[in-house]
Amino acid sequence: MGKIVNDFVINVATANGTGSQSSNLIILHSMFEMGIPVSGKNLFPSNISGLPTWFIIRVSDEGYQAPGDYTNVQVLMNKDTWMKDLEGLEPGTIVVYNEDVKLPVDRDDCVLLGMPMTKMARKINPKLGRLIANMYYVGAVAHLLGIDEDAIGKAVKAQFKGKEKAIELNMQAISEGRSFSEENWGFECQYCLEGREKNPDSFLIEGNEAIALGSIYGGVSMLSWYPITPSSSLAESIIGWLPELRSDGDGGSTCAVIQAEDELAAAGMVLGAGWAGGRGMTCTSGPGISLMSEFIGLFYFSEVPGVIWDVNRVGPSTGLPTRTQQGDLSMLYEASHGDTQHIVLIPGTVDECFEFGWRAFDYAERFQTMVFGFNDLDLGMNRWVTSGFQYPDEPMDRGKVIRSQEEMDSITNYGRYRDVDGDGIAYRTLPGSGLDPILYRGTGHDEDGVYSEDPQVYHDAMARLKRKIDGAREHLPEPMIREEENKELGVIFYGSMENTIVEIDDMLEESGLSVSTCRVRALPLHPEVEDFVRRHERTIVLEINRDGQLFGIIRKEFPADLIPKIHSVAYSDGMPPRARVYSDMILEVLKEER
Amino acid sequence: MVKLNVIELEKSEYTGGKSSLCPGCGHDQISNNIIQAAWENGIQPEKIAKMSGIGCSSKTPAYFLGKSHGFNTVHGRMPSVTTGANMVNKDLSFLAVSGDGDTASIGIGQFVHAIRRNLDMVYIVENNGVYGLTKGQYSATVEKGSKKKKGSVNQQAPIDLCAMAINLGCSFVARSFSGSKKQLTALMRAAMSHRGMAFIDVISPCVTFANNDESYRSYNYVKANDEVLHILDYIPHFSPLEEVEVPEGEFREVNLFDGSTLRLETVAADHDYTDAVSALSAIHKSEKAGSHVTGLLYYDDNVPTATDTLGLSETPLVNLSEDLLRPSEGSLEKVNAVFRS
Repeated sequence: MGKIVNDFVINVATANGTGSQSSNLIILHSMFEMGIPVSGKNLFPSNISGLPTWFIIRVSDEGYQAPGDYTNVQVLMNKDTWMKDLEGLEPGTIVVYNEDVKLPVDRDDCVLLGMPMTKMARKINPKLGRLIANMYYVGAVAHLLGIDEDAIGKAVKAQFKGKEKAIELNMQAISEGRSFSEENWGFECQYCLEGREKNPDSFLIEGNEAIALGSIYGGVSMLSWYPITPSSSLAESIIGWLPELRSDGDGGSTCAVIQAEDELAAAGMVLGAGWAGGRGMTCTSGPGISLMSEFIGLFYFSEVPGVIWDVNRVGPSTGLPTRTQQGDLSMLYEASHGDTQHIVLIPGTVDECFEFGWRAFDYAERFQTMVFGFNDLDLGMNRWVTSGFQYPDEPMDRGKVIRSQEEMDSITNYGRYRDVDGDGIAYRTLPGSGLDPILYRGTGHDEDGVYSEDPQVYHDAMARLKRKIDGAREHLPEPMIREEENKELGVIFYGSMENTIVEIDDMLEESGLSVSTCRVRALPLHPEVEDFVRRHERTIVLEINRDGQLFGIIRKEFPADLIPKIHSVAYSDGMPPRARVYSDMILEVLKEER
Repeated sequence: MVKLNVIELEKSEYTGGKSSLCPGCGHDQISNNIIQAAWENGIQPEKIAKMSGIGCSSKTPAYFLGKSHGFNTVHGRMPSVTTGANMVNKDLSFLAVSGDGDTASIGIGQFVHAIRRNLDMVYIVENNGVYGLTKGQYSATVEKGSKKKKGSVNQQAPIDLCAMAINLGCSFVARSFSGSKKQLTALMRAAMSHRGMAFIDVISPCVTFANNDESYRSYNYVKANDEVLHILDYIPHFSPLEEVEVPEGEFREVNLFDGSTLRLETVAADHDYTDAVSALSAIHKSEKAGSHVTGLLYYDDNVPTATDTLGLSETPLVNLSEDLLRPSEGSLEKVNAVFRS
């Protein structure tokens, strides 16, 4: 039998709260240690303990990171999903299972490899048997696929930082699992790992932690937050890093953190901080944005800077709280009642999560408005590769703030909302400065900030706001374009789809298509996106939602002559995008069109 | 000669724009008291931040302290905006005005949590028992049995904001009356000097939609005098209520616009305002007697403020330089190294 090297999918089925996350991360990190391109997806339930969890590990020299079409190695630990997990497997799948679950394994067409994991675990520690049982499948997988001892050792150490006893116990379990497989199974697995040269600078990190670090380097001075999956880890990462990174040298913190009473209050605190001259931020998910919408309108209309990160989960309503989607894009772009338009930054990699983390504050202060960060559960809570974060290459942009009477005097006919530079951005003063004090308000106001219901005043103020945000287009992160010479098909996509696009692209090109891609990184859209569409015969807008939300924005904003050649491919079932689903849908749309 | 305060400013430095409230509104008297108290305390106007939500009361920051920045925010959410501003600039003196709708209904959650954090601010509720700006619906502080001009009787018990604040551990709780200039100014001056949450519930009867069962009398009066009027569009002009000062331990009846009376009593000289139980007892006793107890009800100057408990930098965060806000390049190398190891 020929060996299949670095190209397979492992699926581990466990129950939530049994400690399996540690085992899965050890497998993931030990492969990563060996320099093998690998990605992991944690499919977890909205529950603390007991409901089913799956962890999918994709190993791919091609760099594919989406869950593959099939499972090659299945680990069965969870009795509740046992039968269904088994049923769904392709013939020939290697099944590693915990014999102590004592459920039938009726798949003669698969390779069945049992181990009494719970019994063995209880022998080395009766109390922690259930937890440690998970380490036996780590040993089994390590044996089958050939994970280095050293790499495992390093991953275990990293997982249980400094807890010597835990490290020893878990290493023993892994080692016993490995020996048992060797001695009892007598099976040589066709899937195997081959170490690759590891970039010594690279490491795995969750998108949320990357945004947290970016925000800290962006000078966040007030974080308000209300717990919600999948954004809590973003706030908690900031809290975790603050003592080390943001102390003033006399033991005082340079960033205030408040766990708010709800998302409305969290948004209000960001507004207050921005109004007073600070760099305020909060993070939430779709339901939180719905609640914050009133304040978002106030940010827009009173022109106060602030940053809100939305880590998308599946909506509508409470939806699937622990699953992923790009379902909030159109809501963010026009959040709150009346005519509004907001800047939305859309990272597609953990490096961009860091970069947009700090840049968000610069954009917010420069354009004196609310800036959204758009992330999702997949990018936010799974681990992705970076070769290290780059230090901000520009000083902070604090925007047009008048800080002295001299500066004030240099402006003729100053008014808080008077556009003296012609870019739609007026100058502001801060409370406490005594410079042109005004009463900020969400009601209609004239160029001096005074209450007004005058039709022309309202109309002109709204026109200026439109001009201001439109003016941001070319300053925001430009799209990432990879273009073929033959301009047959362009695919526009954004965010975490970045992790699947290479595989989709390869699948499409297998069918003879020549595919260019354009990853949108911000709203409002950069002018280059329109040029990209113009250059291509046909364009697909690819996204992880039902309705084609970016497609809707494009259709509204692009010239009418371009619209007929743009098509939407949108699909969402809560799972991280699988390449085959989207490439098939694209081919179908192209066929229909012909 | 023009009178100056301790920082040599005229009182006119503390005034604001022209009020657009109904003529005779008690809220305007409260605004005047705010001006008086801030001037007497010699606070630099630019160091004050005026905060409000939405409603008649929340419009008033436009009518006082014109040299101070302010924010007329959204309905019931003023405390959160104040919290954010306070976090980044703890040197500002926050002076907030809210109403009973803004605080006791839509904003009750934020009110509760601002108290819980002991946010360093003066929080004034201009309490009239009605939603004035939407033309006279009951608020949650209106007495049981109150009758609206169009008939329905309020069946629900009122929320007593002072009792609630004391139960939540608010560090300064007082009640007064819009027409008690001397008492209210004294309470405001004390509140402005307090570090932490200073809450003052100011009873300020609505001249237009007074909330007692006799309130329709004024409308009848209007009707009787001009039959072609569209009542909803007509705001009768009243003079402000007469000033009333109630000596300690005594009570006075105040005649309201609609002919009803309001009984005010002042806490006794021996009231122990450091004792929450005495304060609550005074509130409940007066409620039973059908009156409103006024004065400083509860006070504790030893509660850490929201910013105290966070261990923030001594310098207000808005004044920190970029090198303190953005960690060094070397520190990022260390962060990267932690993940690589």
